[in-house]
Formats: sequence, structure tokens, C-alpha cells
Amino acid sequence: MRFTISAPPHKKTGLTVKNIMWSKVFALIPVSIISIYFFGLPALWILFASVLAAVLAEYSIQKTFDQKITIRDGNAVLIGLMLALIIPPEAPFWIPIVGAAFAVIIGKHAFGGLGSYLFHPVLAAWIFLMIAWSEHMTPASFPYADQITDIFLENAAGFLVEVSPIALIGGVYLILRRYLDWRIPLTFTFTIVLLALIFGENLEYLVTGVLIFGILFIATDPSTSPVTKQGRIYYGILCGLLTFIYGYFSVNYGYAALYGIFLANCVTAFLERITFPKEYGTPSIFEKSYITLKEKISNRGIK
Amino acid sequence: MSKIEVMDKTVEKVIIPLKQHEGAICTPLVAKGDKVLVGQKIGDCNESPFCASVHSSVAGEVISIEEVPHPNGKRVESIIVQPDEEQRSVDFVKQDDLNPSELIEAIKNAGIVENYGVPTHMVLAPLNKNIDTVIINATSSEWIQGDYSDPGDYASSIISSLKILMKAANVSKGAIVLRNDDAESINAFERTTYNGEHVHVAPLVGNRKIDYYFDDMNTDIVVVSQKPMYGKSLFNLFTERVTGRKVSKTCDPSDVGVAICGLKSAKAVHDAINDGKPFYETVIKVSGAVNTPQRILVKIGTPIKDVIEACEGYVGEPGKLIVNGPLTGTAQFTDEVPVTKDMISIYVQNEEDMETLEAIECIHCGRCVDNCPVDLVPARIATLVDRGRYDECMELFVMNCIECGKCSAVCPSKRHILQLIKYAKVSLSRVYPDAVKESDSMHSSCMMNGGQ
Repeated sequence: MRFTISAPPHKKTGLTVKNIMWSKVFALIPVSIISIYFFGLPALWILFASVLAAVLAEYSIQKTFDQKITIRDGNAVLIGLMLALIIPPEAPFWIPIVGAAFAVIIGKHAFGGLGSYLFHPVLAAWIFLMIAWSEHMTPASFPYADQITDIFLENAAGFLVEVSPIALIGGVYLILRRYLDWRIPLTFTFTIVLLALIFGENLEYLVTGVLIFGILFIATDPSTSPVTKQGRIYYGILCGLLTFIYGYFSVNYGYAALYGIFLANCVTAFLERITFPKEYGTPSIFEKSYITLKEKISNRGIK
Repeated sequence: MSKIEVMDKTVEKVIIPLKQHEGAICTPLVAKGDKVLVGQKIGDCNESPFCASVHSSVAGEVISIEEVPHPNGKRVESIIVQPDEEQRSVDFVKQDDLNPSELIEAIKNAGIVENYGVPTHMVLAPLNKNIDTVIINATSSEWIQGDYSDPGDYASSIISSLKILMKAANVSKGAIVLRNDDAESINAFERTTYNGEHVHVAPLVGNRKIDYYFDDMNTDIVVVSQKPMYGKSLFNLFTERVTGRKVSKTCDPSDVGVAICGLKSAKAVHDAINDGKPFYETVIKVSGAVNTPQRILVKIGTPIKDVIEACEGYVGEPGKLIVNGPLTGTAQFTDEVPVTKDMISIYVQNEEDMETLEAIECIHCGRCVDNCPVDLVPARIATLVDRGRYDECMELFVMNCIECGKCSAVCPSKRHILQLIKYAKVSLSRVYPDAVKESDSMHSSCMMNGGQ
């Protein structure tokens, strides 16, 4: 009888990178469908063109550099879909194609591919499009939730993702399933709501599809957020702070979220470096002070 | 809990390795052609304290003494016995009223070994160290009631084992640690009595460690419960959680006066002292792709092949044969290896259940960081090892790794993090042999800041 030998562990989680990517894609499908329903054919074209361009770009660059073709892992599809959702429906037909190709080729592969990119490819591409063709990228109006039905179906224009903030609920499900990290969205939301309350900002402005999309899907991207537990908390706070600063002065929390997260990406490596956990068993400041306090009390007892 | 089957079929041959513990190998007391009885001592230690004797588990004829495969993957000199039709055993003498040093000697003679390989008498009476508390660790899933079929019997006999262990170690404090999600065992303990009083299973929360309960209940034995823990090298963490005494990485629990025994060795000690039976049979949990997964009492030295046969054989074509759990266990290259003293479980995987996914790039998801019990950043360490930057790994405390394998098990990229970390640890210990030496000199400091 033949037996295979290998190093432990012999049983691993069923979760793979592929699962994570495709589950994110599925979580974004409801909002895509609503945007098609709301904006019609232009939205369908943007979604289709962006995904296709991203996949083709990934295929051609991996073919050119003789790398393993990794389209099946869903990362390219996800990048294409996410970029499409932050493009306004009025954009000319070539905008999603150029943007998605930029995201995959420059945003992802020029930085070393999956897991290595410094900036979220979708954000990099969005900012590129914004700077190069701002006239095509500016939506007709900027929606915010001024009435309760806006949470379900937004009446103003905006980016594709802004049609229905509630349709992004899939992201919350992914967090509960632990497909996405919970620390970043929690601290991000907490910081921005807290700042809004302190500065008396209208909370309605915060309920926009792009901000929620940013919190749930862009900020939680594993490659561009710190790997340490503490680092992720700081990162969430920083995202919230930067978003609020931009949003407070421009009253456009959609742009604010995208620029804020992009800027927070810059300091991810730094946050990671300063939050490397101490050696196991080293007492924290809190524990140290607790121990000294306890000793003081017990010494007093002896006297 | 299912009941324990007894494997009573006579096997073709029994392989008894002369080394089933960490430390010195035993010298055989028999030669080829000799007749042996059940429970007869066939391998003895040469004066070395770090050693445990081995006994024959069957009566029969020694057919050879040679090097054969051992479950740890190496070849070890073993005594091969062909069992006779009639199984006669040596006279087991009940050993009562022994003083501590006689008890230690009796435990050593019975060849009792902890499941992580250290002889039990070395745990109870380490050289140049003072033990003040004995703990029976009943938290790991494999051990719960592993050797007992009835919870009540389990509770009362574990308490009496603990009394023997405390007497042997000459200490006045003993604790049994259960897992807090195991209601069956907790209930069983709550129904038993000790010193005429009902046992109360206390949870370990916050600052309430066992010392608190010793004072609070005014007793010398406490039963506590805590979260389940697994892994053989987690004892420092375990000690800290249970007693509140910090054990630094170069020390072990005995440095702070704590002796930790497993359930299996506790039962073996109980049998050795109360019935005079040396450690020659053990309960093994067989699971995975076998026809009747079960817990089975087998004689030490029985080839795994025959144990699987007693479980009515493999389901389909077996792919992997894993000894001692799927997370940290060893995959066997043959099923001719014998059951040894430190064996807890056998797990069989079919070809299709085997992990064959290729490792891809790290996506920095941080799952390994979230799951690491000793606060490492396994993803970063693995990347550094992959590029040969070992010194930087040292700065990230790679030597603290307890090799529990959780990081590799949860990795969605299926990276071989544990293997890379082990590789770094081996390379670093070659480059810096001082790191090992340091641990010896550190022991004095361990005693000073730990313990009482």
C-alpha cells in the first residue's frame, strides 16, 4: 500500500483566495443589477466593458511576461467590477476600458501583482481617470440620503454604486462570515460618525453608496491594509479621519472616501511597521501599571 | 461518549521500540529466542534518569532485535515478539504505602511517558528544580475521557490519580483542568466527592487562577475549567493561564514549580500503582477513512496495520496515514509502524481529502496573525524566510513559535508557513548555537522571577 507523506498540517481550511474574490464579486452583483435597472444600457456597457477589459488586460500581461494565467482567481473580474461601479453612467464608452486596463496593468501588475500592490488598483485607476478626464468622470449630481427611500433607491444621479446603498449589504454578510476583516470597517465607520457628530455635520451626507462601498469593499482590501491587528485599527481610524477632512470641506463624501482611502494606503507600510506585536509574554503598558498598582497596595497592607 | 473497544485479536508480531520517549535509548534485557511474558520488562535504562523502561505487551518468543520504522519517521532499534497462543502475564503486585522517592522509582519502572515524549517521573521530579503544584491537563480534545468509557469512573479515577501524582511529587497542591465546553466531564466531576465534599468545577476567569481557588475553597485539590487548548508545546501558555505564573520562552513550567501531566499518563500511573500493571496498553482514537471509527484499547507495539484491521479496514484507497492529529501529527510512509506510548490517535485520509492545492502569493489578509497564539506575524516571517533573511526573522521572534500549525491551516493562499518557520528555526539554531546555550544559563533566572 502506498502512503503519501508531507509536512503538517494535514487539514486546512476550505477557504481559498479564489473563494474570497468570487464572494466579493457576488456581493456586488445586487448593486450592479439595480444600477442596470436604473440607468439602463449605459450602465450595462460600463460594467461589461470594464470587467472584460480588466480580464483581457490581465491575460495579455501574464502572457507577455510568461507568467501563470490567474484569471480564474477572480481578482481581475473584481477589479473590473469595482471600477465600473465608481464610474458615472454618462461616461463615454472608452472610459471603463481605459480605466480597467490601467487598474490591472499599472495598478496591479506594475507593483508586483496580487498581494504586492501598494495602492488599491481600483483607486489608482479612478484617480487617473479623474485627473485625466475629469469632465467625463464628474457625475451629473451628487446624491445623498435626504429621505428614507434613498437608502433603497437613490433618485439623483451619481456613480453606478450610488443607486442603492442598501444593496451593498452583502459586504456586511462577508464580514460576518469573516471573509473580510471587521476591524477596518468598524473603526472607519465609528471615526467618521464620531467626527460628524462633533463637527455638527449632517449625517445624511454620509449615507452615500460610494462611502459605504469604500468602507466595506475598498478599505478592507487585504493587500493595501496593514497585516497586524493593531495596524488595522489605526488604518480604519486614519481612513475615517482623512475621509472626514476632505468631506467636511467639500461636502462630497463620495470623493472623500476614495481620496481618503488612497491617502491612507500610502502609510499602510508605516502603520504595519510601528505596530508589529511585541514579543509574546511582554506585559503591555496597561498590565505593567496594573501590576505595580497591585504591588503598591499589597505593600501597604503589610505595613 | 462512545465506549472503548478492546482489541483482543492476536496479531502476527508485535514491534516494541526501545525508545518511545525523549532521552536515552533502553538496552534490551532479552535476546533472540527468549520467551517473554505480558508485562515483563524487556528494555531497561542504563543509569540515565531521562529514560523510561519498556515492557512486553504480549507473551511469546523474541524473534529478532533490529531497526524498524518508528512512527516518528526514523528507524529505531526494536524488539519483535511473536505472540503465543496462551497469553500468560507476570504477577502484577499492587504497590501501596510507598514514599515519594519509591513512587517515582515505581513510575519510572512502569515506563510511563507523557504524550509529548518526556518520561513522567522527570515531569514530577525534575533535576534540581522544586515542584509545588501538579496539574492534570484534560483540555485537549483527544484526551477527554479518552481512556474511560464512563464519565463518573473517569472523574473519580482522575482524582485518585492526582493524589498519587501529588504524593510522588511530594506537593500539597493539585489541579485538574477541564475544558469549559465539555459539559459531560464537568457534570461528572461535580457529582464526585473529594474528602467528603462535593467537587465544584470553577471557571478560570480574569485574575481568578488556581491559587485563588486553593485559598477560596480551602482544599488541596481543585478542578477548574478553561478554553480548550491544543498543541504539545503550549505548556508555557497553559501554565500562565492556569496558575498566573509567566514562563518565558527559554524556561519550562517546571521552572516555576508546575508539573503538567496528561490524562493518559495519569491513568497509567493509577494502573501502575493500584494494580501493579506497567504501561503496556493504551487507548487510541481511530478516525477518518476507516469502516468503524472508534476508540480502541490496544497493546503497545501492535502494528498500525492490525489496528486498522480491527476497525474493519480502510474505506477505499487510503492516501495518508496520520498519527497524532491532523494539525501537528506525522504522516506515515508505511502502516507497519507500531503503536507507541505517545500515540493518541490515528487519522486516515483518502486520496481526495488530501491537501493538494498549490501555494500562491500572500494576500496579507492577516488570518495567520489573528490566529497565532504567541503573537507573531507569520505571513511576514514566511516571506522573509523564503528570501533567506533569517536574521530579520529573529527580530520578529520566530524562535517563539510553538509550531501549532494554525497559520498554515487557516491560510487562504495555502502557503506552507509552518514549514518555512521550522526551516528558519533550524537554520538559526545552527548559526546561533548560543541561543540554545543561553537557555541553560537562563534557568537560574527563571527560578528567581517565577515560582513562589
